[in-house]
Amino acid sequence: MGYSGVRGGQEAIAAAERLVQESRFGGRSAWLELDQITERLGLGVDRVMGEAGLWAPELAARAVRQAHGDLLEAAQLLRAHRSTLPRFGYSLPVGPAELRAVRRVSPAHRNPPGGQVLGRTTDYTPRILDLTPEERARPRRAPGPPGAPAAAPARRPRGDRPDADAGLRAAGLLPDRRTGDDPEPYDITRAPARPGTPRSARLSALARAETGSLTHLWYSCSRAPRPGGHEIPLELRRGRLPLRVAHPHTGRPVTVAGVRVTEARTVRPTARPRPDGTRFDAGYGLCYGENEPKALAMAGLDLLVHRDPHTDRLEQKVLIALDGPEASGFLEHLKLPHYVDFRSTVERVRAVRVGAGAGR
Amino acid sequence: MPDTLTRERRCELLAAAGHEEIVTLAERLLADGVPRPTVVQAPEVGMVVLQVREPVEETRFYLGEVLVTECSVELDGVPGWCMRSGDDRIAALAGALLDAVAAAGLPALTDIDALCAAVAERQAAEEAAEWADIQATTVAFEELT
Repeated sequence: MGYSGVRGGQEAIAAAERLVQESRFGGRSAWLELDQITERLGLGVDRVMGEAGLWAPELAARAVRQAHGDLLEAAQLLRAHRSTLPRFGYSLPVGPAELRAVRRVSPAHRNPPGGQVLGRTTDYTPRILDLTPEERARPRRAPGPPGAPAAAPARRPRGDRPDADAGLRAAGLLPDRRTGDDPEPYDITRAPARPGTPRSARLSALARAETGSLTHLWYSCSRAPRPGGHEIPLELRRGRLPLRVAHPHTGRPVTVAGVRVTEARTVRPTARPRPDGTRFDAGYGLCYGENEPKALAMAGLDLLVHRDPHTDRLEQKVLIALDGPEASGFLEHLKLPHYVDFRSTVERVRAVRVGAGAGR
Repeated sequence: MPDTLTRERRCELLAAAGHEEIVTLAERLLADGVPRPTVVQAPEVGMVVLQVREPVEETRFYLGEVLVTECSVELDGVPGWCMRSGDDRIAALAGALLDAVAAAGLPALTDIDALCAAVAERQAAEEAAEWADIQATTVAFEELT
């Protein structure tokens, strides 16, 4: 498949682009400021950064605005811009213990060590379209807690990060997959991720997968009958991770920035090589920003690929079919002229038709 | 905050300082006679790959990249460096200058550490406010039997 080179139409193309510019910069409403986008449409900005693979809230907000709110297009814009930037280096590794949580829930344990902190969520309240009239909604501020605010300690307690897997591991219910090896991570931005590449490639590909595609793939896998019972997340968290680099003159760690992330850990009873149910398999999800469906689906698919990468070519789908800019770019190219390609196809169909005795 | 900041802690706090406060201080120090630094590496916008050690196999993977601005200067032979999030070349240059002034032990170190103390105090207050907010959402579910 391909599209042919064409010439001409420059004036029409310029006029079409002008219409886009008028749509972007025209209109009667006020100019959409970047901080309005990052504050009011933060989940969209988070999603764009995750799918572009670049944490840059202001640039992502620009991309959302330029794309007229089309998040897939915005991710494509940011991903393309990313390719123009130099890479200074690699951060020092950070682990889950360093995640500063603002939300932590456990669907598996009623009273997990460290407790459950719901954080900002609508999980337990009806999701109803807010039809408050605009003149009343505009000045409204978030309601405070009823009555006097509870006295809170000035500082968050340290050590508020119990290991979600520790209990199952200690009980022998979770296979210990730690080998002590520490291979260099696979860099999917430098080499394509294909079946057989290390798990680090899978986690990177899932972390920047398109949220809708990821959700759909997880859903289609989870709806299919699979042996061993369904998954239950051990823990879901949102919070901040530090970006820590080695100081160039002292060599010691320095935190130079922070990113917001969502993290999920999930388990299913084992089903390899055949259902036995004596232990659990584990999966891990971590993505940029506030995106709980993505982290949960990522953990579920990490688990399923680890368990059985070949059924339904799941590993291949995870590595190849979930990238938003790649998929949308391929789809978008269909709109470009395919005149020669189509004429050739018509001639081939005619030839086949003649060969089959159907043509006249 | 301890009386004496480590160089790394000072770098962290300068990286977390706002554009206005860090640039204003750097401009004031230059106006007060701090020698002009030699720019070793002009402020440049680029990316750092965020490496994460995941908990299942405890191996590393790349979560993605983070936009940062980096700058290096030299002040009478003493190097200064700054890296901060986002695209802000002026603030990175100011941060590198302040790092060099502090590393050189110039009298303006007091002003720089005062700014760092203010940033640290603000961070602590924001963290306390955040914790107060989310602490109210701590829950102990009861099972219906």
